[in-house]
Amino acid sequence: MGEELKKKAMNRLQTRNVVRPMVNKMYSEGVVAGNEGRPVAWSMVNWWEGDLIMRTMGVTPVYPENFGTVCASDGIAQKYLGISDAEGFPTHLCGYARNTFGYSAEMRRLGQVPPDAPLGGMARPTFMLSSEGYCDARFKWFQALRHYWNVPVWTLVYPHPGPKEILAEGTNRTNVEYMKKELLKFVEFLENLLGKKMDWDLLAEKLDNQEKVFKVWWDVNELRKAKPCPLHSRDFWTLMVPCYYLAAEKEALEGYQAVYDEVKARVDAGIGAVENEKYRLLFSELPPWHSLGFFDKLAERGWNFVTESPGYHPPPPMELEGTNETLDRIARWTYWAFVWATIDAHKKGYPIVPGAQQYYNWAREYQIDGVLTHHLLTCRTATFWLTHAMNVIKDKLNIPGMAMEGDIVDLTVFDPSVPLNNAGPFEDTMEHYRQLRKEQGLAW
Amino acid sequence: MSQLSVKGLAKAQQIYEDRQVYVRDVKAKGRKVMGYLCAYPALEMLTALDILPCRVLGNMHEPITKADAQVPAIICPMLRSMLDLGLKGKYGFLDGFVGAHSCDCGGSFCHLWDYNMKLPYHHFIDLPHVVHEDSFGFFKEGLKLFQKTLEEYMGKKIDPDRLKEEIRTHNRQRALVRQLYDLRKPTPPLLSGAENLKVVLALLCSPIEEGSRMLEEVIEQVKTRTDGPRKKGARLMLWGTPLTEVGLVEMMESLDANVVMDDICTGSRHFWDDVEITEDPLDGLAKRYLEDIKCPRTFRESQETYEQEQDCRFGYLLDYARDWKVDGVILQSMRYCDTHGYEVPTLKAFLDRQGLPNIYLEHEYSMVAEAPLKTRVEAFLEMIA
Repeated sequence: MGEELKKKAMNRLQTRNVVRPMVNKMYSEGVVAGNEGRPVAWSMVNWWEGDLIMRTMGVTPVYPENFGTVCASDGIAQKYLGISDAEGFPTHLCGYARNTFGYSAEMRRLGQVPPDAPLGGMARPTFMLSSEGYCDARFKWFQALRHYWNVPVWTLVYPHPGPKEILAEGTNRTNVEYMKKELLKFVEFLENLLGKKMDWDLLAEKLDNQEKVFKVWWDVNELRKAKPCPLHSRDFWTLMVPCYYLAAEKEALEGYQAVYDEVKARVDAGIGAVENEKYRLLFSELPPWHSLGFFDKLAERGWNFVTESPGYHPPPPMELEGTNETLDRIARWTYWAFVWATIDAHKKGYPIVPGAQQYYNWAREYQIDGVLTHHLLTCRTATFWLTHAMNVIKDKLNIPGMAMEGDIVDLTVFDPSVPLNNAGPFEDTMEHYRQLRKEQGLAW
Repeated sequence: MSQLSVKGLAKAQQIYEDRQVYVRDVKAKGRKVMGYLCAYPALEMLTALDILPCRVLGNMHEPITKADAQVPAIICPMLRSMLDLGLKGKYGFLDGFVGAHSCDCGGSFCHLWDYNMKLPYHHFIDLPHVVHEDSFGFFKEGLKLFQKTLEEYMGKKIDPDRLKEEIRTHNRQRALVRQLYDLRKPTPPLLSGAENLKVVLALLCSPIEEGSRMLEEVIEQVKTRTDGPRKKGARLMLWGTPLTEVGLVEMMESLDANVVMDDICTGSRHFWDDVEITEDPLDGLAKRYLEDIKCPRTFRESQETYEQEQDCRFGYLLDYARDWKVDGVILQSMRYCDTHGYEVPTLKAFLDRQGLPNIYLEHEYSMVAEAPLKTRVEAFLEMIA
């Protein structure tokens, strides 16, 4: 009976299954490339700034951040975390980074990919691609990995204007121009390293595919504004992977098109991702990859997570002006992903709220009843703004928030019983604020 | 300007205890006081407009209360403390704030500070992490934007010749700081680590001329003193995150150690390198502030081998160790500092390769839990004795 209830509570998308073969292929390509001596890059998520360029040059990227989620889900992460601790890395560092340090130490010790590494593990890198984007771990982590891998590290630049600068005349163009110059240097770096020239036509072709992927996946997420919401965050976190890592691939485009069709059909039929959507929630930040079943329990209560933290979403259709040059478009897309929420808020007359802009925008547009924040004990970047975001949404929109502590990789610091025990009282809170919003004249 | 009745080390002590000593005077004369984050805002541009720069610091002795309602506890404790003090009105005297994208949390702090404090002037300098050739041009554009907003707020332009003059003035102070640090080269050092730290912390909230005068007084006083530190068993160098109070250093010096040198954000890193006087002064400022400050937030390019990379990133520490006759290095870092945390194994490998004993000491930016730190330092000192 319990099992039956669980099955009914969350209505997973059928088309989420398009992702698994792509992920398996992504990892196996890395393993094969390593075995065949072809170039492999350990790459940070770089919001598409470097991925197309690498792939066009015949480099197979592998992504230690994603590998961290795989290890966490697999259960092997605890072993790698322990090795990282023994290697002298402070325990407060990013769980993904610690997982990689432990994995690298083990790989060096064994002289090969560890046999117990999930999905064939990560092949030895030819170079490492870090990024200035968002957190300091994105360049410090790979710099620290030089302790194990004597390979070059290239760091992609990533301007971080504040809200005032984003809206100031000329700043955005200056920033994109800087990124373009640096991307050309990255191309030169690869050409020297690999002894071959960039195929600019192929790069443009991959970029065309990526832009289509952005559009479809953006449109899928727009459909989640429907009531009931047709796509739960659990499926989002599965489905975000192709856009994040494989946006140049035709399979990613085809996959998202299939997802769009299924989600649209649900909207047309009034089918929700949760059987009885009582509350619409926003989840922030990354989920506890090791304990995703926890969301099924909340679904049984009618909690439908209709959107989540912005960093994992595709950018909306482009509004920054620029040229049709490939590097200009690549730079603009990455930069646009960082600035669009502020520009959008300004256009719509929303208050400008640093660090919480997209939460504010989407809390209104997805008509959220509550926010559940997951304070990641090893990710300061993701966690810094969570308390402030909850304050802003409550103060400005009468939407309450609930916080829980955990980590992306380290399952020992997450106790699902804490938020589950608080769920009932939080529902009372959400009901109370629903009434306040009604009195305030808000639409939901 | 306030003529403090005391001079030299006593003056530094007074300013260390009351950071608003000069602030009150400056405000009374109608001048502006601006807070800033870290060592990265180009202070010369502030002093060229007769603004008193006052580095915003936390307080290791004050429990954090109000800030807990804004940021989670896993954020850098110093930044939380700074926000806490701001929310409690302790920085109510500021007319403005200049932030920089020093580290990720530091950058975020700047925006959260602006949201809460709403000072009449606020500017955020976007500082690259890399020092590629194009990064200098990008950063220079950022300095131009900073200059523009500053001039708009102050209602007057920065004269380029005045800016060059301020660069010389700040460079004179930097030279005096280096002379101050030289006073700890002898055995025993003429100045304790705690005294040195009080002097440099006092500089961070003093007008440039008053600060330099204090330095001259201290140097003169210390050269002829007979009541300096006594010779201890070990000469230590500190590396790491900012120290805003002397408690940790005093703890080490209460043991069989002299703290003779540092590479910390509120110590030598803030002052060590001069700005080159260039035709366009912004070029010199861009180079010094982006490349020369030796903070781990700046990504130094990969070298051919790991050992070469260690030398490139940390080689200057060998110069310090040699010149200050260092016996051991304490890598101190406040918990939750990621930029310093990632450095630790590589830095330890470098120091081990050089035969320099070292220990990593993580603390909570509070002197409440001093005892376990003291035990570890004691054990380290026994090890290197």
